[in-house]
Amino acid sequence: MNQCETIRESIGRWLDGELQTADSEAVRRHVEGCPDCAAARQRLEKIQGMLGNLLTAEASQLEFAPFWREVRRRIEEKRPWYEELIEWAQSLLIAPRLAWTVPAAIMVLLGLLSLAKWPVGGQVSNYASVESIDTHGRNVALLREDKTKTTIIWLYQDPEGESENVEEATKSGPAF
Amino acid sequence: MWKKLRNPVLLFSLALVSAASWLHAADSAPQSVQVTVRSILAGSKSDEFDPKLKSLEQQLKPLKHRSYRALKDETQTISWQGSKVFEIPGGRSLTIVPQEFQNDRIGLKIRLTQGDKPLIDTTVKIANKGNIILGGPAHEGGSLVLSISAASQ
Repeated sequence: MNQCETIRESIGRWLDGELQTADSEAVRRHVEGCPDCAAARQRLEKIQGMLGNLLTAEASQLEFAPFWREVRRRIEEKRPWYEELIEWAQSLLIAPRLAWTVPAAIMVLLGLLSLAKWPVGGQVSNYASVESIDTHGRNVALLREDKTKTTIIWLYQDPEGESENVEEATKSGPAF
Repeated sequence: MWKKLRNPVLLFSLALVSAASWLHAADSAPQSVQVTVRSILAGSKSDEFDPKLKSLEQQLKPLKHRSYRALKDETQTISWQGSKVFEIPGGRSLTIVPQEFQNDRIGLKIRLTQGDKPLIDTTVKIANKGNIILGGPAHEGGSLVLSISAASQ
């Protein structure tokens, strides 16, 4: 392959500006000094000019308005909610976001444990459970009051000897 | 991006787990229990309600006495496996022994005596920072009511 053949293979890319600066300069110098390659360049430029004119003429006949209308409609179109939901769910599964689900899950778990310990609404049950009781022969009443959540142990003292005021104690004792 | 995020995420997770462990350890192993015994005289001769007992008003209502007067408040800190004696009006005494702390409830062994004579022995579990009412013994023409509250420390 002689130099002219090599240059002619590169003329198309040279005209399109695709060659490196050094190669482009080498082709230019050769074409300016070689009548055959200059003729090849002219032929190529002529073909390109004809093709350009043909494409421009064809393009002017094409109807682009419907194409842009469809593009605008697709942009402005409101997608169904489930498609947006799917896209949101997929975005959550992207690795960097997924990584934060670990501490987030820990925080949720801690929150649930806290809720279990401190009931919602701040109403902590005050009920007390009585595991065992020995009144040494005396009567006793056990009351659980729902409104105040209070457990009451009421001891009935034996009127014989223990009560400081038997009559009053008997009267005021088991009021509930 | 993943590599940049990985270390902060790891550190944050470790910090959370450490904090949770520390809080759990601090919560599950209280050193002692603070017990407060309020001695109240309940009667029916007047309609006097001692303003100092305002916080107990709702709890005392079921007893249906007409008057309530605060006689004595006593607070003591009791270590686990320890016991403390509270002096109660009328020559009585209340011995309290902490038993256990589980599920934010405090187990207490309670003994009320009059002189050497035991009046009641009971074991109860009350809510942490909650209370139980023990009443009945006759006193000064009325009835003695004790509010026993406990809080872990």
